[in-house]
Amino acid sequence: MAKASLSPRDWLRTVRSDRLMGVWLILMLATAGLLGRLFHLQVQQGKVLRERAQNQQISYIQPFVPRRTIFDRQQQVLAIDRPAYAVFVHGHLLRRPKLEIANALAPFLSQGVEQIVAAIPDQGSIKLVDGLTEETAKRIRALRLDGVELVMERRRYYPQQDLAAEVVGYVNIVDHKGMAGVEMAYDRWLTTTLERYQVQRDGLGRIIPRSVKQQLLVSDRTFLQLTIDQRTQRVARQLLKAAIAKYNAKRGTVLVMDAQTGEMRALVTEPTFDPNRYFDYAQRPEVFKNWAVTDLYEPGSTFKPINVAIALEGGYIQPDSTFYDEGMLTIDGWPVANFDFESKGPPGRLTVSQILERSSNVGMVHIMEQMPPAVYYSWLQKLGLGQPSGIDLPSEPAGQLKNQAQFTTYRIEAATTAFGQGFSLTPIQMLQLHGILASGGKILTPHVVKGIFNEEGELLYKPPIPEPRPVLSPTTTAQVLQMMEAVVEKGTGQPARIPGYRLGGKTGTAQKADERGGYANAKITSFVAIFPTTAPRYVVMAVIDEPLGDDAFGSTVAAPIVKGVIADLIAADGIPPSHPEELHKKTNRLAQPQDQSGVETTPPD
Amino acid sequence: MNGTKYRVYLDWDWWLAAPCLCLIAIGGLAIYSINYNNPSLGNYWWQHLVTGVVGMGLVALLARWHYPHLLTWHWLIYALTNVSLVLVLQFGVVASGAQSWLNVAGFHLQPSEFAKISLIITIAALLHRQPVQSGGDLWRVLLVVFPTWLLVLIQPDLGTAIVILAITMGMLYWGGTPLSWLLLLSSPLISAVILAFSLPLWFVWLVTIGVIAFWASPDWRTPVTAGAVIVNLISGELGKIAWHLLHPYQRQRLVLFLNPDQDPLGGGYHLIQSRIAIGAGQLWGKGFLQGSQTQLSFIPEQHTDFVFSAIGEEWGFIGSMTVIALFLVLCCRLLVIAVTCRSNFGSLLAIGMLSLLLFQVFVNVGMTIGLAPVTGIPLPFLSYGRAALLAYLLGIGIVGAVGKEEKIC
Repeated sequence: MAKASLSPRDWLRTVRSDRLMGVWLILMLATAGLLGRLFHLQVQQGKVLRERAQNQQISYIQPFVPRRTIFDRQQQVLAIDRPAYAVFVHGHLLRRPKLEIANALAPFLSQGVEQIVAAIPDQGSIKLVDGLTEETAKRIRALRLDGVELVMERRRYYPQQDLAAEVVGYVNIVDHKGMAGVEMAYDRWLTTTLERYQVQRDGLGRIIPRSVKQQLLVSDRTFLQLTIDQRTQRVARQLLKAAIAKYNAKRGTVLVMDAQTGEMRALVTEPTFDPNRYFDYAQRPEVFKNWAVTDLYEPGSTFKPINVAIALEGGYIQPDSTFYDEGMLTIDGWPVANFDFESKGPPGRLTVSQILERSSNVGMVHIMEQMPPAVYYSWLQKLGLGQPSGIDLPSEPAGQLKNQAQFTTYRIEAATTAFGQGFSLTPIQMLQLHGILASGGKILTPHVVKGIFNEEGELLYKPPIPEPRPVLSPTTTAQVLQMMEAVVEKGTGQPARIPGYRLGGKTGTAQKADERGGYANAKITSFVAIFPTTAPRYVVMAVIDEPLGDDAFGSTVAAPIVKGVIADLIAADGIPPSHPEELHKKTNRLAQPQDQSGVETTPPD
Repeated sequence: MNGTKYRVYLDWDWWLAAPCLCLIAIGGLAIYSINYNNPSLGNYWWQHLVTGVVGMGLVALLARWHYPHLLTWHWLIYALTNVSLVLVLQFGVVASGAQSWLNVAGFHLQPSEFAKISLIITIAALLHRQPVQSGGDLWRVLLVVFPTWLLVLIQPDLGTAIVILAITMGMLYWGGTPLSWLLLLSSPLISAVILAFSLPLWFVWLVTIGVIAFWASPDWRTPVTAGAVIVNLISGELGKIAWHLLHPYQRQRLVLFLNPDQDPLGGGYHLIQSRIAIGAGQLWGKGFLQGSQTQLSFIPEQHTDFVFSAIGEEWGFIGSMTVIALFLVLCCRLLVIAVTCRSNFGSLLAIGMLSLLLFQVFVNVGMTIGLAPVTGIPLPFLSYGRAALLAYLLGIGIVGAVGKEEKIC
């Protein structure tokens, strides 16, 4: 340093030029550093960071999308979605001691404080409880506990509990999918697919109003309506429950079908379940199937009117034909006897109507003998035996009919079929067959869903139901109905008689086939009715499986149920009596004890 | 001087004035965009532009001013500065944790902003009279800077205090101080930082400092060396104490920029959001009023310290580069004046302004892109802040006068 020779000012002037490089270097380094970093962020990482920006600004709102409500035909709610809340606790996010959290939550939960403390993990998350109402959720949210999260879940409520469980079914709590009944069969139609909406949020998490689209405020209020009538369903269930209890029966079903459309006004099976608590029935999975739809049985005598209709339609018999009933006969080495042969012996010559009234097996065999078995077989097929009914509920099997070769080769096949044995079908298929008689000869498709309607009640979707297909002439069915009316007026169906009204009916008491192909001691009793006989409105059927007791017959177990259901239908629909004069004598009739006892003395089946 | 009135008006240094005008305009646009969705915050952009116009008027007025007058008045300026800083401590308005505003006849004045310019004048005058040729010369400058610096620090306005240190270092360097002395001067701070990170490295540092001190001090070699090492030893410990004297938020700010994701919702929030905004601008930017981070208020205090993030988002890399380039033009012009000015005083004034701009721009922009900690240092000409803008333009005006006086084209 040349301090000595230069004045300080001149010295500084020389030093300054030395320092230029240093300053220049710092300036360039700073500029390069900033530009390099900016290039890295904006050009190299720009795409990633822009996505990150979008992700934090955009959030999606999943509107509460309810599964469509299910109504009965009177607009009563059978199934409805409500938001429910689950409480999650995230251990690592808690900012207060567990005990404090537990104390705060305990009043809202069914668990004790200690239980809650034990359940909260130090790390990770746990679902503490679910199914809380919106009100409770609001109050928990107001506690503002860090690490306690409320998550909205969908819950399906069945306000009528088990009333129509066999028709409505239930949904899985896990994924909200239909697992049985209409919930399953119409899952696609009950599931609404509202899109989630994209909204913008600002730095404070507030939603930017102009990013909210109008659709967000529109909700899907379409609903599914059943043909089922809650009232009829309730009455039928009460009667069925009482009968099952009285006879210690295994199970039972009551079916009510509209005789013109195939709409099911009631479909009751017992035992059933509460769809709100379906998980309580894990040990008894059989309650979830609607056995009237899914299980086959041998119908027995209730099938006889169908046979008579076939024979009449084919012209093999006339309404006034008579047959000699020897009470018992042997076919292919198999004995065939009337149920009352042992007590009453051979009844002798009977009209077709009398054969039905007495439910004579031998008489029926003689009637069907008039037809070649192959023709008989083709008629059975034509009426839909061996086919599913087509009802809109899950898991319906086809009926089982022997193959044609066996049917035509062995006489015994046609003979047993004549009185309703040797083949099997489901109760709903049996109901469908009687629907042919009730509708003037048309095959109706039983169904439980009316359609999907919008808020205004306009029909949006109607399930594809085949048109009623004529298979019998109205003349034939009218003749058979007259005979069935006689069954109720003076035959085995008398317990179903309703003064002032006329209905056609037929009892059935069949031994159940056991596993070895023979017949066990267990019975299946049934009664089918068509009401009213002059312009049929309803086909009503009751089947009770394995009633116990010597007095358990179609006439004693099933007929009173059908009578009760019809009585309620009369009241509900306000059907005027066709024979009002009987009602004036009503008190009189009731006063006579033998009329009541007549029910008991009449041969039940 | 002999030209028409019109000539006089526009007879400023265009190399200085043009970048300033551009930067003020860009700042106005950015502030307009930032507050576009929050009209309740007031018309900051308009106030910014008005202040800018007033400031540029000041630049124009100063253009033909005989700047050596400052050599006569610099002690008075120094005294006024310190008095106003004391007044602020007494009667100042507290805003965001610091007592730095003086309410004078309805105007909020921020003496600490003017203190920076005042110190530039003071240091330049001191070094003009006696450049740093000995340790004594150095201590004299430091002694003059210290009271002002302390008054700013205890407001507390950490950002300005740091800027004052940077200006002082820059001017000392230009004023002849050997690099090694500057290194020794800043060694206690470095020592404290190194100790916080690694103990072995700290020992290496102590040895290095010892060697430098020994080599750099021909006169009192032993005491200087020993002193330097001892001061470094102590400052390591003092650093820890000072660290704890800082507010928790300041402590967090100083470290978090290295890894803002440590506390994404707390101290790291600004940094992360600002980085995202700038990155989201990509090459061309999202366009004026189109920056969603900016428009959706993801960055708090964006119109002041984080104004650059709005520019980065809405104008992209191109816009960022333009801003940096404008600052570079300004800095280069200041450097040209500093180098070519015959007068040491004028040269030192230019270097002071250069130090101020360079440091503030680097630290502020660096803060928004993760190169520097959050220190509360605004971006000159762009950040909203009327006192600060006037102070910078006052400085630019003085250097402009230097350029004209010394006939630098």
